[in-house]
Amino acid sequence: MATSEKAVASKNGKAPRWGMAIDLKRCVGCQSCTLACKAENGTPPGIFWMRVLEKEEGSYPQARKVFLPIRCNHCSEPPCVPVCPTGASYKRKRDNLVLINQDKCIGCRACVVACPYQVRFIAEDSKGYYGEELTPYEAESYKKWQPRTVQKCTFCVDRLETGREPACVQTCPTRALVFGNLNDLESEICKLVRQRAHFQPRAELGTDPSLYYLT
Amino acid sequence: MAHEFNMKLTPQEEWSWLLAVDLFLGGMGGGLFLLFLIFNLSPSIAVLSLGLVALGAVVLMVELGRPLRAWRALCKPFSSWISRGVIFVTLFIVFGALYSAPAFDSLSWLAPGSDTARRTIGVVAGISALFVTLYPGFVLAASPSIPFWNSPLLPVLFSFHSLMVASGLIFLIAPLGLESADLRSISFLGGILIVVNFVLGAMYLATSKGSGLASKEAVRRLNEGSLGWTFKVGVILVGMIVPLAVVLWTPSAMALAGLFILIGGLLFRYCVLKAGVYVPFPLT
Repeated sequence: MATSEKAVASKNGKAPRWGMAIDLKRCVGCQSCTLACKAENGTPPGIFWMRVLEKEEGSYPQARKVFLPIRCNHCSEPPCVPVCPTGASYKRKRDNLVLINQDKCIGCRACVVACPYQVRFIAEDSKGYYGEELTPYEAESYKKWQPRTVQKCTFCVDRLETGREPACVQTCPTRALVFGNLNDLESEICKLVRQRAHFQPRAELGTDPSLYYLT
Repeated sequence: MAHEFNMKLTPQEEWSWLLAVDLFLGGMGGGLFLLFLIFNLSPSIAVLSLGLVALGAVVLMVELGRPLRAWRALCKPFSSWISRGVIFVTLFIVFGALYSAPAFDSLSWLAPGSDTARRTIGVVAGISALFVTLYPGFVLAASPSIPFWNSPLLPVLFSFHSLMVASGLIFLIAPLGLESADLRSISFLGGILIVVNFVLGAMYLATSKGSGLASKEAVRRLNEGSLGWTFKVGVILVGMIVPLAVVLWTPSAMALAGLFILIGGLLFRYCVLKAGVYVPFPLT
C-alpha cells in the first residue's frame, strides 16, 4: 500500500488524515505489534508505544480473553496538545499526525496526564535492557528520543514518509490492523469503517480519535 | 507510568509529592498576599508571600524533566493553563515586589511617583495573586482523562483552600508580632474559610461520586486504604476540624491551629493528586 503523502494527497486534494482500524475479531493478543514497535522504534525498557491489553471475561466453562490493542490515536482534537505549555506537542497540518518536538519538551507531564488513552511516556534515563551499557542497536535507536521528555507512537512517521506502513501493521499476522487515509473515501480503512460495526475509543470525550475498533 | 497490559482502572502516577509541595507553596503565597492586601498587614508578610511563590516555582523546576528549558513554558498562554500559570507567577513576583519594596527604607527609591501608579501596581499584583491561587485547579481540570479533576469546582476549591492555608500561616507566625486586632479579624476569616472549604469539599466529593466509574473510584480511594487515612485524618481532622475547634474555643493555641492547617493544606493537595484515576479503557 502506498502511504506517501504525495500519493494520497493527489486523490482528493485534502491533506491525509492517517488512521487505523483494528479488527477486534481478528486480534489474537499475540503482541507481535508490540514487539515490532519495539524493534522499529527502539523504545527503552518498560515503555511500549503500542501494546495489547487483555481482560478475562465470563467464568468457566465460558471464560474467554478479550484483547484491545492500544496506541496513540492521533486524535483530531487531541487533549494533549492544548495543555502543552511549550508547543512541543503539536498536530502536523500536512498529515494530521500528532507529534512531539522533543527539543521543546520540558518534561512537565501535562500531556501524559491529559491523554485519556495512557499512551504517552517519559523515559527517566537512557538505560538499555542490559543496564548502563547500551547494545549497538540501542545506541543507535536511542538517538531518536531524549530522556526526561515525552515520547509516543508516531505511526512510524519515518516509514510513512518513504511510502511504507507502520511496523505494527506490517507485522500483524492476522491482519487485524488496517492503516490508511481517513480522508480518502476509497481507502480500505474507510470502506471497513463504512461496512463494519465499530467504535472510537472514548469518543464521548470529544477527541475524535483516528482509530476505529471494528467489532 | 501506565504500562499495564491488563485492562483496569489506573491511578495517575505522574504527579505526586513534588507537585503537591509546589501547589501548596504557590497557593499559600498567593493567598497570603491577598490577605496582606485585604487586612493591610505588615510589608514583611508580602515579602514572605513572594518568597513562598518563588520557592514553589523552584520546586516546580525540580519536578520538570528538563528544567533548563523552563522558559519555554511561557510560549502557549492562549491554550495551556500551565503557561498562563507561569505568566501569573512572573507577574505576581514582579508587581508584588514593586508594590511592597518601597515600604523598606533601603528600597524606598522604588516607590512609584503617584498614588495612582502605586494603586495600579497593587491591583495587578492582587489579580496575579488571585490567579496564582486559581490556576493549579484549572491545570488539573483541563485533563479530560481524569474525571475526578475535570470539574469546574476544583479551581474554586483550590483558591479557597489557598486562602485558608494562608490564614493558617498567619496564625502560626502571629506570635512574632502581628497586631491582636488583625489577628482577631483573620482568625474570624480563617474560621469561615475552614467552614467554606469543608462545604466546598463535600460538594466536590458528592458531585464526583456521581460522575462515572473513574471518579467514583477516586472517591473510594479517598475513603479507603492508606490514602483514605491520609485524607480523613490528615486533611479533614487535623487540617480542618481541630483548627476550627481551636479557633472557636481556645484562641490561645492559634499557632498550633495554624500548624495543623498547614499540614492539612499540604496533604489536601497530595490527596487530590493521588486520587486521580484515568478514565477506563472502553472494554472495562
